[in-house]
Amino acid sequence: MSGPVGAEVVVDGVSKSFGRISALRDVSLRVARGEAVLITGRSGSGKSTLLTLIGGLEQPDEGSVLIDGRAIWREAHPARERREVVGFVFQRHLLLEALSARANVEVPLIGARAHRRERRRRALALLGDVGLADRADHLPSQLSGGERQRVAVARALANEPRLLLADEPTGALDSTTSERVLDLLFSLRDRLGMTMLVVSYDKAIGARADRTVNLVDGEILPGQPAVEAGR
Amino acid sequence: MLSIILTNLLRRRSRTLFTAAGIAVGVATIVALLAFTQGLKETAAGFVHLGGSGLGVFQANVSDPTASILPESIVARLQARPYVSRATPLLLIVEGVKREPAAVTFGVDPGGFFARGLVIVAGSSPSAWEREVLVGDRLAAQLHLAPGRALAVKGHDYRIAGIYHSGILFEDAGAVLSIAQARLLTKQPGEQTDVVVELAPGRRASVVARSIERDFPGTQVISDPQQALRAGANGTLISKAILVIVVIALVVGAISVANTMAMSIVERQGELGLLSTVGWSPVRVASLIFGEGIAVSVLGAAAGLLAGIIGGGLLVRALGVGAYISPSVTAWGLGRGLLVGVAIGVLGGIYPAWRVTRMKPLKALSGT
Repeated sequence: MSGPVGAEVVVDGVSKSFGRISALRDVSLRVARGEAVLITGRSGSGKSTLLTLIGGLEQPDEGSVLIDGRAIWREAHPARERREVVGFVFQRHLLLEALSARANVEVPLIGARAHRRERRRRALALLGDVGLADRADHLPSQLSGGERQRVAVARALANEPRLLLADEPTGALDSTTSERVLDLLFSLRDRLGMTMLVVSYDKAIGARADRTVNLVDGEILPGQPAVEAGR
Repeated sequence: MLSIILTNLLRRRSRTLFTAAGIAVGVATIVALLAFTQGLKETAAGFVHLGGSGLGVFQANVSDPTASILPESIVARLQARPYVSRATPLLLIVEGVKREPAAVTFGVDPGGFFARGLVIVAGSSPSAWEREVLVGDRLAAQLHLAPGRALAVKGHDYRIAGIYHSGILFEDAGAVLSIAQARLLTKQPGEQTDVVVELAPGRRASVVARSIERDFPGTQVISDPQQALRAGANGTLISKAILVIVVIALVVGAISVANTMAMSIVERQGELGLLSTVGWSPVRVASLIFGEGIAVSVLGAAAGLLAGIIGGGLLVRALGVGAYISPSVTAWGLGRGLLVGVAIGVLGGIYPAWRVTRMKPLKALSGT
């Protein structure tokens, strides 16, 4: 195993509401370095909210989220913390349609002020890793759904994150393509050693993950071995 | 970053072009007016140095230097001053030549240095000033005039004795007759428009100008082209009109850019949210929006500079003053146009950029 060491994630007594809707209630979770965890649950159970709180895109109303002991939201430069620690993969790939696959992978590196030559080299290497070296100059509209999601994975890995957060990464893909994207994600996790949290309904991921966390109505089901395993 | 800015602008070509076109119109107007004013200034320089003089003495507080009236006696009094070498009166007749209303007819003292300084290029000097005139070579070319033919000034026919060239646009595009005839035609006995003065050796024009204005109350001395423009209400009006147009161009252009960029933010909030999610700092995302505003403005300004250069010529032609004013495009004039264009981008980009810094990444992402 080489590359970045995975981050430790500690979620402690976190609650989050949007108006009168309570999305998460007193959720606690500990994810060890390099661990791959599937977060599952019904629609509206708070899975994605938990992921965005861990990724520092939202602030918890109560409790704390610590990545390697630091709360991204409380840092002076949350964007920089995200850039240095977290990689995101979304259900919809959210690629910039006007940019080529290579340029899309370069986007986080621009944020990190990487040199143009280094950006290009790294983007091409990552596209090679996800099997799209020959598609580097294609626009997203010229790629299949699976290829776009693989570009999104390459983009998420651009800054060598210690924590990869994937929100329904296979939700918009057919089963064959889903399988390939999951193969890619887990092989990268094995190779790079990063911690990985995947939100999904896809039970196939559960078989590959180290454990599964099941959210019901904003709470982690009590007494579930999967929840307690990390604590 | 630059490539993303250009890609984003190219992605919305129509909007980019329309916004740039709006800025271009503003910049072109400014450049054309500045070129026109510069041309006016160069013409005014000739006005200052009529007959090769060092300065001109006019009545103070007139709407336009050509409306000045001075008494005949002032010439001798000026001549007597130690700082004056020679002084000669001029009576300007505006719109005296019906076939070319823009031509100025100069009533001159036939023995004065103004009349003597004219270089005759065809024909000869008038032998009978009461019946004859001299015509500048530009006016002669324009109206196909030649020695021996007639020129009507204020409805009176005069025989053209000769064609002259002085090198001063104003003079070469006009005609010269005796001041006695000019006074008869304008019914201004004992009066003149101004007195042109040759300085005594070693005297500085600015110092002499102050001395004359002190010694001859009610006069104003024009010794440089800027003064010539400022001296009359018309020159002041042009300067102020340009300032007003610059301000309007800035405000309208900035609003246009701000509107375009604000619309762009609303449409692209998902994209901007993504940039923030992958670690772009708010300042960096804002600088992307700001950069796009600047790039549109620079594009508009560049087109505006080109259009302004062409527009300056068209403006002069439309006003029918091509014989007197050649629009003059200077580096400083172009620079000011460019500055206004860039200022439009800066001002117009501030609000959208600020809005971007307030955007929450998750909210932006959920807006996609």
